Amino acid sequence: MSSAPTTSASKAEKGTAEGTQKEVKPAAALEEDDEFEDFPVENWTKEETEVPDTSTHLWEESWDDDDTSEDFSAQLKEELKKVEASKKR
Amino acid sequence: MESVFQCFQRGYGNGDGYALSDTLSPIPPESQPDRLNNFFRSTNFANVKRDFKQALLRNSEVGMSEEEYNGWVEVYVAYWKAVGELLAADAAPKSNSKAAWTKTYDAWKELTSVLHRGYSNHGFPSWTLPCLYVAGKFLRIFAIKADEATPTSMSAVTSFGDDLNPDAEKNEKLEDAARQLNRIFNLCLSDREPNLALSRKWGIYYTTNLLLKTYFKLNQIGLSKNILNAIRAYKGDMPLLDKFPASQQVTYKYYIGVICFLEENYVEAENNLTEAWNKCHKDAIRNKELILTYLIPCHLLTTHTLPTLALLSPYPRLQKLFLPLSRCIKKGDLSGFDTALVAGEDEFVKRRIYLTLERGRDIALRNLLRKVFIAGGFEEPKEPGAASVRKTRIPVAEFGAAISIGSKETMDNDEVECLLANMIYKNLMKGYIARDRATVVLSKGGAFPGTGV
Repeated sequence: MSSAPTTSASKAEKGTAEGTQKEVKPAAALEEDDEFEDFPVENWTKEETEVPDTSTHLWEESWDDDDTSEDFSAQLKEELKKVEASKKR
Repeated sequence: MESVFQCFQRGYGNGDGYALSDTLSPIPPESQPDRLNNFFRSTNFANVKRDFKQALLRNSEVGMSEEEYNGWVEVYVAYWKAVGELLAADAAPKSNSKAAWTKTYDAWKELTSVLHRGYSNHGFPSWTLPCLYVAGKFLRIFAIKADEATPTSMSAVTSFGDDLNPDAEKNEKLEDAARQLNRIFNLCLSDREPNLALSRKWGIYYTTNLLLKTYFKLNQIGLSKNILNAIRAYKGDMPLLDKFPASQQVTYKYYIGVICFLEENYVEAENNLTEAWNKCHKDAIRNKELILTYLIPCHLLTTHTLPTLALLSPYPRLQKLFLPLSRCIKKGDLSGFDTALVAGEDEFVKRRIYLTLERGRDIALRNLLRKVFIAGGFEEPKEPGAASVRKTRIPVAEFGAAISIGSKETMDNDEVECLLANMIYKNLMKGYIARDRATVVLSKGGAFPGTGV
């Protein structure tokens, strides 16, 4: 909830920033920023696509077991104590 | 004038549609920066038709029918007029640029119509279709220019008078361009030529891509459905997509992927985007970046995987977009995730990926619960030498405490149970909640499916 005012403020800022930008360079760019661009060539062969390098992984698992779980269990115990204390109050 | 028609003859003689289409480009070739100027000055309004008739006659291939010849004369007359407007618009002072670009658009639209007639009435052969591509491509660009140009102060004053719907005219020309492109689309799709090699159906994907691009720009993505349904209806009667130039395949797959993505059909989206990614030209960095912008959230939801640093390294913009979230997901840092989501909100919303990324919170939560499970350690072995078994009974309070790490508020057990029940329902966690004992009993064989524990 606390984030709502900041967000709208930053949006308003962005609005004005875009407004001024437009004045500075009127329709200078033909293509819009997030538009899929025309390729400089019409056709190409397989060799001209990214050669999949088997040694580099492009995707990885979403969890991280290297994160030392010792630290985490200490942190967890600390938090548990805090939670219990606050409940007793 | 001569050089344009010589190029025409060469292109026509070789049956090279792309070379032919270069003669209708509104951008002069680098080797002849003055081509448009010279071309326009080579004749005048009174004589243009006669001059071009003679020039084409001198240059044209024997064997072109009278009908087709007349059609091409009309095309180049329309092109000449459009070039005149374009040169005027380029030189126009800012105060007059809206009117000048509007005229350019209208003249170019006329060229597009004349070309359209060439195919429907004058028997233009289908290998010359790239001419239609050039017409369509710049029709869209000139429409955007005309819409974006600031109106003169006079018209600005009048429009202030009645600003009930200031957006209505904002995309006036681009909406018109979409209608013209739709006509071209139908011209290609409805060709009855039985020999596929000679069919205008080879123009389908180029025009479809132009249309999709236009609908995206207009924020009328829903209209894409009509186009895609029409293509589907003709599927058996059309060359396969992989017979088309790679640029058309990749662009088409990208847009289909994004459309599926917006419909939350993430599996289809991933298939299409992956294909676009694999076939994309390796130097087209910006396009690859765009493909990844949607492919990364897809991967997060379908396979719960994240991009590696190696994948992101050529794309600083994507690193900025996705790395903070990725890190929090990996660490199971819920409050960090929320902060990163708020920080990137504007950009995520603009890219239309906010809602999808928000669902990544489940994965962050899964990883956090998984850490609690791992931190719980192992049962005392019942007999020496027995395989160690993780503790599978975990108090709800422990999960609750983990969730409240980093945030100032603590959660009721009821709320925590609700979150846990959701995780179980989504098959991100396996087990049940023993409410009377306020304990979660996790599955001994894979408490967190697919994560190795």
